[in-house]
Amino acid sequence: MASGRDRATAVVLGIIVPLAGLVVLEIASRSGWVNPTFLPPPTTILATFWGIIASGGFAAPLAQTLLLLFTGYGIGCVAAIALGILMGSSGPVFNLFEPLTELLRPLPKPALLPALILFLGLGARMEITIVALGCFFPVLINTIQGVRAVEPTMINTARTFGHGTMAIWRRILLPASAPYILAGMRISLGLGLILVVTAEMIAGSGGLGDSILSAQRTFLVKESYAWLVVLALLGLLLTWLFTVVERRLAFWNAPPIQ
Amino acid sequence: MSVVTNFPSKKTGGANGAPVAGSRLVVEQVGKNFLGPDGGAVSAIGSVSLDVAPGEFLAIVGPSGCGKSTLLQVIAGLMMPSSGKVRLGDQDVTGEPAHMVYLFQQYSKSLLPWMTVANNVMFAFSHRLKLSGAAAQARCRDYLAMVGLADFGNHYPWQLSGGMQQRVAIARALAAEPRVLLMDEPFSSVDALTRMDLHALILDLWSQKRFTAVLVTHDVDEAIFLADRVAVLTHRPATISEVIETKLPRPRHSIETRESPAFLALRHRLLKYLLARNDGGAHG
Repeated sequence: MASGRDRATAVVLGIIVPLAGLVVLEIASRSGWVNPTFLPPPTTILATFWGIIASGGFAAPLAQTLLLLFTGYGIGCVAAIALGILMGSSGPVFNLFEPLTELLRPLPKPALLPALILFLGLGARMEITIVALGCFFPVLINTIQGVRAVEPTMINTARTFGHGTMAIWRRILLPASAPYILAGMRISLGLGLILVVTAEMIAGSGGLGDSILSAQRTFLVKESYAWLVVLALLGLLLTWLFTVVERRLAFWNAPPIQ
Repeated sequence: MSVVTNFPSKKTGGANGAPVAGSRLVVEQVGKNFLGPDGGAVSAIGSVSLDVAPGEFLAIVGPSGCGKSTLLQVIAGLMMPSSGKVRLGDQDVTGEPAHMVYLFQQYSKSLLPWMTVANNVMFAFSHRLKLSGAAAQARCRDYLAMVGLADFGNHYPWQLSGGMQQRVAIARALAAEPRVLLMDEPFSSVDALTRMDLHALILDLWSQKRFTAVLVTHDVDEAIFLADRVAVLTHRPATISEVIETKLPRPRHSIETRESPAFLALRHRLLKYLLARNDGGAHG
């Protein structure tokens, strides 16, 4: 089939640019165009990266980052979905919280770190809190949108068959708004990763962010870049995983073309 | 016992085909106002009264935007009337009555895309009847077989054609075994041939199940072909200007009935009437 060949072509095309970039960096570093102390050749970085992987040294920082990320992400998403459902379905609740959320939503969340450190210190509680705060808003906005966008005909259909309020929530409103909620959760996952790494750099108490910054501060530049590779791969993996989950949970949203 | 007038001529009522006594549908001087853009009340329905016998097929025709759907939603208990009331049997309709089902125009919006066809059908009755899994599956299969979709239970609605989706919606509505089936232009979003096919299907199911049918439509041919009586609504605020008995013999045939002189005479009369109104002509 042509589509298989098209996909293969797309993959090859997609690899060309990053590969060319790596080759340029390799030449630039080895020829001395850029200071190899600041930017070691990519092959050296890859060897160091491989060392971190093979020794199992990646496990502890990665596990810590993932634990903080998913705890904060989970808290933020659950709170946002709960409030979003209330705000999306009730005018008074929406009017009650809308000014506050509109004030806090555009605020760059790292700006809250100094205040959070005052209250929560430099540990996991602060890191989880900033991740939860960052993940909260995109999910909140999308949940409100999703609940409001539910087709009234679907709700009326359930009513005419005699389904009660709880059943309508469980069987109509939640699944119908799921594609919106998941889209918000996708944005939040990316934001959560940014925030957990930022917080770890500031807290300096472990995790991938701390590994990147500590290595750079102690002139382990190769290691710093190698941790960056770990982080990039983590981002890629999380995006891919989320796509798989999204396709399973909201499969009807992109029906196959007949 | 209610007096059954104008009862359809074809009586095939068996064990499950007997009309349910006490399900006479009465609409008493129902009016409905909405809040207009300037904050004032806009009258959608002036005052409508209808008396539908158990097992009767009533069609309500009227120009677009005349409040037909609003009237049907009031009858279904999905909306409260501003004045008057609706009674089913000896009970006032104040919420969605247990024995009334509403078939919507847009199957794509009333079928739930995250449920298979079978689960959509079971959505109609599984919460009310505490059936075992196997019994629920069997009932679901029966109704899907009635609309010719026995093999499509495991499909998702969006994998089917428009006509097939509306068949699923019909199977789902009937699986609730309603005494009254309210239909809101359910045949208007499929192509002409599929529509004729669905007309024959709904008449067949109606003659088997003997539910009371109220159809809202702007299609005069459809109204005459299906119904025992056709009620004509005026422009907003809607009132009933005329009720015509079709008196066409049953069973009706997709082609012959539509070509019969009696059918054409009714069509002529109704179209003339509706078109005259559209020209802003005299009120009858």
